[in-house]
Amino acid sequence: MASKIALGLLCGVLLGFVLQRGRFCMVSAYRDVYLTKDNRLFIATLIAIAVQSIGVYALVELGAIRVAPVPFTWVAAVLGGFVFGIGIVLAGGCATGTWYRAGEGLIGSWIALFGYMLGSAATKFGALKPFHDWITGPKAPDAFVYQTFGISPWILIVLFSLVTAYAAWRHLRRPSVPVPSLPQRKSGLAHLLFEKRWHPFITGALVGLIAVLAWPLSEATGRIAGLGITTPTGNLLRYLVTGDVKVLDWGVFLVLGIAIGSFIAAKGSGEFRWRVPPAKTAVNSLLGGLLMGFGAGVAGGCTIGNGLVNTAVWTWQGWVATPAIILGTWFATYWTMVRPMRALRSVPASGAAFQQGAS
Amino acid sequence: MAKHLQVLGYVCPFPLVEAEKAIAEMAPGEELIIDFDCTQATESLPRWAVQNGHQVTAFEQTGDARWQIRIRKAG
Repeated sequence: MASKIALGLLCGVLLGFVLQRGRFCMVSAYRDVYLTKDNRLFIATLIAIAVQSIGVYALVELGAIRVAPVPFTWVAAVLGGFVFGIGIVLAGGCATGTWYRAGEGLIGSWIALFGYMLGSAATKFGALKPFHDWITGPKAPDAFVYQTFGISPWILIVLFSLVTAYAAWRHLRRPSVPVPSLPQRKSGLAHLLFEKRWHPFITGALVGLIAVLAWPLSEATGRIAGLGITTPTGNLLRYLVTGDVKVLDWGVFLVLGIAIGSFIAAKGSGEFRWRVPPAKTAVNSLLGGLLMGFGAGVAGGCTIGNGLVNTAVWTWQGWVATPAIILGTWFATYWTMVRPMRALRSVPASGAAFQQGAS
Repeated sequence: MAKHLQVLGYVCPFPLVEAEKAIAEMAPGEELIIDFDCTQATESLPRWAVQNGHQVTAFEQTGDARWQIRIRKAG
């Protein structure tokens, strides 16, 4: 138990710190591709996947870790991914986003987190389990993409890394308007860690490295997997209500560590404060959280489990669920942002259009 | 004339949505002052402003997890 606590918290604290300081947000990454045609954060997520993919398969080659196959439950991946995508827009943050914003003191994220825990636990172990088992029934024969094509994973890794490097290079080469930043008050290491704006590509690479580190740390406690958020979050609630210590694995301490790491980062940068949301935000957070828990529970992963880890290890589950998540965020973005804004533009300077806006 | 927008407690992207709504109603050259407390908006609000040709005239942290930004509408 001591190693689970220490190694889980270690990885979680690192991740929470990096996510908070890097303002890493997978919802914005997916949404901005559609909403503002800005691929900056999306490319950062590709970097995180590429770094992790190279690191994990290098460790596999060295015999340091094992990668277990993830069953490809295609109906569940599509449906669950889509519902999860809607949930993260409503909740204002993905699964890790919700954990790290809880650490920043956002009460709205605590509410979303509660919904997420409940949705995940109900889907995986509770009242919705029969539905979960039914929808995850249809399975495809191959778990891994390279298995289907009968090629080495390294072919995919090299191709993907080249595409990512090209996208990053093209983005960096583009002339950009300087974005005004806050005046500098700290210097040296304090400035670097607790004030400076991190380039999203740097943050993406750091997230990828932490995701690699997660594999040996997790395997050392007997859990053969990388970063995972949904099942551990559900397990935390399961432990709280059943007292079953067996469900307290590496992942549970990982997610707790994310909140702690983010709290340290936020406190150190003067960005921690208990913040109370308006009623409408609170309701959206709860609803979004429940959809997240259900969706990720069904799809077998969230933006991290599927979007970052299952993609990096080249499972079909990840490569099908992730586009479904992205479509879900676009669908919800259309209804909460694009459509209200259009209504606003067609009725200029009229207060009436404000009523239907998402606020 | 300046317009004041209070979006304390709003999580991203809603501070940005409200800012867009507010600025759509304003005349070019007018200033929009936004008080916000969503950490991620420290990145998204100034970026949105300059990308849309508006000018950021002031940007400061006014307290723990509390910021104010002034944006002059393009015109």
